[in-house]
Amino acid sequence: MITAPKAEVLQGTLDLLVLKTLQTLGPLHGFGIARRIQRVSRDALLLNQGTLYPALVRLEQRGWIRSKWGVSENNRRARFYSLTKAGKRQLALETQSWERMATIITRLLAGAEKA
Amino acid sequence: MLDEELQTHLALLIEQNVARGMAPEAARRAAQISLGGSDQIKESVRDYRGFPFLDSLAQDLRFAFRMLRKSPGFTAVAVLTLALGIGANTAVFSAIDAILLRPLPFPDGNQLMRISQYNAKIRGASNPFVAPVRLEEWNRMNSTFQALTGYYTEDDSETSGAIPEKITIAFVAPRFLQVWGVAPALGRDFSPAEEHFGGPPAALISSRYWRERFGGRPDVLNKKLRIGRAAVPIVGVMPASFPFPVSDVDVWLPVPVGAPYTLSRTDTWYTVVGRLKKGVTLAQARANLATVQAQLGKQYPKPDADIAVKIQPLKDTIVGSIGRSFWMLFGAVSLLLLIACTNIAALLLARSSHRRHEISIRFALGASRAAILRQLLTETFVLSLAGAALGLVIAGAASKIFQTFAANLPRVGEIHLDSAILLYALICSMIVTLLCGLFPALTAARQGISGSLAQTSGAQVSTRNRLQWLLVAVQVALAVTLLAGAGLLVRSFEEIARVSPGFEPAHVLTFHVSASYAETTNYKALTQRIDRILNSLRSLPGVSEAATSGTLPGIPSGPETEFKLVGGSAHPTRKIIADSLAVSPDYFATMQIPLLQGQACRERTSGMDVMVNRSFANTYLGQLPAIGRHVIEIGQHLLPPGEIRGIVGDAREEGLNHAPQPTVYWCITASGPDPYYLLRTRNAPMTMAQTVRKRLAQLEPGRSVFGISPLTAHLSESFSENHLRMILLAFFALTAIALAGIGLYGTLSYWVAVRTREIGLRMAVGATRAQIAALFLSKGLSICALGCIAGLGFAAVSTRVLAGMLYGVSPVDFPTLFAVVVIVFAVATIASLLPAVRAARVDPMVALRHE
Repeated sequence: MITAPKAEVLQGTLDLLVLKTLQTLGPLHGFGIARRIQRVSRDALLLNQGTLYPALVRLEQRGWIRSKWGVSENNRRARFYSLTKAGKRQLALETQSWERMATIITRLLAGAEKA
Repeated sequence: MLDEELQTHLALLIEQNVARGMAPEAARRAAQISLGGSDQIKESVRDYRGFPFLDSLAQDLRFAFRMLRKSPGFTAVAVLTLALGIGANTAVFSAIDAILLRPLPFPDGNQLMRISQYNAKIRGASNPFVAPVRLEEWNRMNSTFQALTGYYTEDDSETSGAIPEKITIAFVAPRFLQVWGVAPALGRDFSPAEEHFGGPPAALISSRYWRERFGGRPDVLNKKLRIGRAAVPIVGVMPASFPFPVSDVDVWLPVPVGAPYTLSRTDTWYTVVGRLKKGVTLAQARANLATVQAQLGKQYPKPDADIAVKIQPLKDTIVGSIGRSFWMLFGAVSLLLLIACTNIAALLLARSSHRRHEISIRFALGASRAAILRQLLTETFVLSLAGAALGLVIAGAASKIFQTFAANLPRVGEIHLDSAILLYALICSMIVTLLCGLFPALTAARQGISGSLAQTSGAQVSTRNRLQWLLVAVQVALAVTLLAGAGLLVRSFEEIARVSPGFEPAHVLTFHVSASYAETTNYKALTQRIDRILNSLRSLPGVSEAATSGTLPGIPSGPETEFKLVGGSAHPTRKIIADSLAVSPDYFATMQIPLLQGQACRERTSGMDVMVNRSFANTYLGQLPAIGRHVIEIGQHLLPPGEIRGIVGDAREEGLNHAPQPTVYWCITASGPDPYYLLRTRNAPMTMAQTVRKRLAQLEPGRSVFGISPLTAHLSESFSENHLRMILLAFFALTAIALAGIGLYGTLSYWVAVRTREIGLRMAVGATRAQIAALFLSKGLSICALGCIAGLGFAAVSTRVLAGMLYGVSPVDFPTLFAVVVIVFAVATIASLLPAVRAARVDPMVALRHE
């Protein structure tokens, strides 16, 4: 499959995406998270799926997600990640700041147009 | 494990691709590209894994070093201050640990007890020493001790060499080495035959005597020492680590059990030491020996019915009174450390406000409060660790100096820095970190993102500054307390020096001539011998007077005893308690103690003369005539009633810092076989030393002369402990006031810097430079005043601790406290002057432009 060139995903944004995915879909393994992010962004975000794993480790160290071994749909062992309470709080915080940033920029651009 | 996860992921990707219609090979390749290289993934995960705590710690350390390197002045001052504080604290603690806390360096040292007897009927202390026959009975009849033994020391001459050499002999009862739990390093212990009367002679020698006299050669065993008339073979050498608790002993000789001269029940010879059985408590031992002594009392009513037993842990009797001094010293160094900490805390507070900008940026970049707190505390910890390391070096040097200075304190040789002390230093630095750094770190990390970026210097500064001023005031208060204590001790010292001792200590030479207790069997011959020596010495051209005395004047000699006046005293109900001293008739002329009434005393063949001092006459005789009356010393069976021949002036025999007490002087030339010889010399005392030696070598060729020193040397040595205490406290006080001054200077400088704009404003509306300077000077002095008031209050309470060590000065002595306040204000003025002048030099144009 030939894909169009995509924008790199920022590290911080990736964290937000992972947390949101886990909140929406519940406990999921690495492949599932990657697939969901690709689907939702309509392939607009390039995701070297491997970059997901360092992010998952980092999120686990921060205490925002936790992991448990389980069995995947193809009967293989896989780690399932889920959101912690702290993770839920962090997600709410990050969502807030994103929305605030978006509002400011929108207003800025609208103002620029008017001027 | 990551491998397995990645394998699963890859498999799922391949499945997905196949489901989308790709060929298996193409599906696999596409999946691999999509996932990325597994090695790469593993490496980037490893970067994140590892121990996050250690990683951030390493990062914090690196950052801390960089920050501290950027301000070398602050770092140097802080490290030096902490080094002084922690070093002094560690040094004192190592001394306390070695001397007071650690058990004696014998196996199971806490089982060792000192046992003494006392006469339950007599008020005041009696002879604590125990007769050999009683020791053996105690040892046989008790059930709580593994063994009891006893010793006494005597100086004698060893005459097998070319010149007689003085040696210190410890005469020991059987079971001596068993009680201490130490075996000879070379050779063997005494055999039972050698320990009993009629057996062969034998000696043990100390490691030091072995090295000095025999060169440490292994063939020393069975060499013979010549002591008195006997030739004694050496059977063993004690190990170097055997620190005989009393003095440096050269030779140990057994006292034969069953010898006729050891059978008297009224003799008092031995210092008794015993080792408790395992698991036996002190209370049990006390009860047991009380029962044993009661049995002996029934069996031998005279004198055992009156005798009671006292048991104390041996360590307590050795360490004695210096414990209090040391804890006082520890209090002083802890105060000093506290001052150092408050100083550093104030400096850190000032520094943290400079870094507000940097900290808020770090907050904005996503650092958590905990991370910032941790980083700031790490900086403080690095400072205190550096201070502790340098402090340990200082402590080591200070310990060495202390050991040479205070060499005559017990157990001083056991002080050394070991792992326990290192641990203490580490704990100190952690406490210091918390004390100094916690509050400044909490204050610095308090702001959120929005807080500080938008701030200009202003109201936020004021609360922090109030805290800094409080810290300066605390330092001043602590410095005032230490200065007050030091000042009082200095004043005491001066008062003691000013006091008239009642005798003339200058130009007096003292020494000993070796003799053995065996000579006391023929008292007349002993007295004649000593008289011959005194007459001969008196005839020397540089000598004006000569005498002997059992004790040195001005050195505390021991407890008082009870007397009875034959014919009744002025106050029949009052007990007569007085000092009992033994001196030769010329003692008063030699020491220049004036004769007030009556005549000089004489050495008599039957009966005995005494002289009493004025205190005794006034207190116990009142208006009654004293001359011709007789006194009896209660508990002293060897002395006949003494006839009072005259009254002499009061002399401070028990120490220059004690008021003179009622004293009875027994006129006995030979109070022991080896009394103190006192010579009044025309010139400096030590110039006569060689002459005295030569003359005695002519008179008594078999005896050695030793301990030759001027009386003034003995007197100042008895004050050496006080002297040391005073010097140390003065040192701490000066350091404290210096630190407080530095703290005041630093805080005031910072305050000036912060208010630069305000100064510019004031100048712009017409304030003169002098007024500006006065403003800041008064701020500094007012804080100093606050600290002084608090300090004086604290000092008034805490100097009562010193009350026992003061002489002629009350703990709240006004001139001293006044002088302290003057000194503190002087230092505060100097410290405040520089910042005040700097404030006055501010250019208002420049100041106002800084917005």
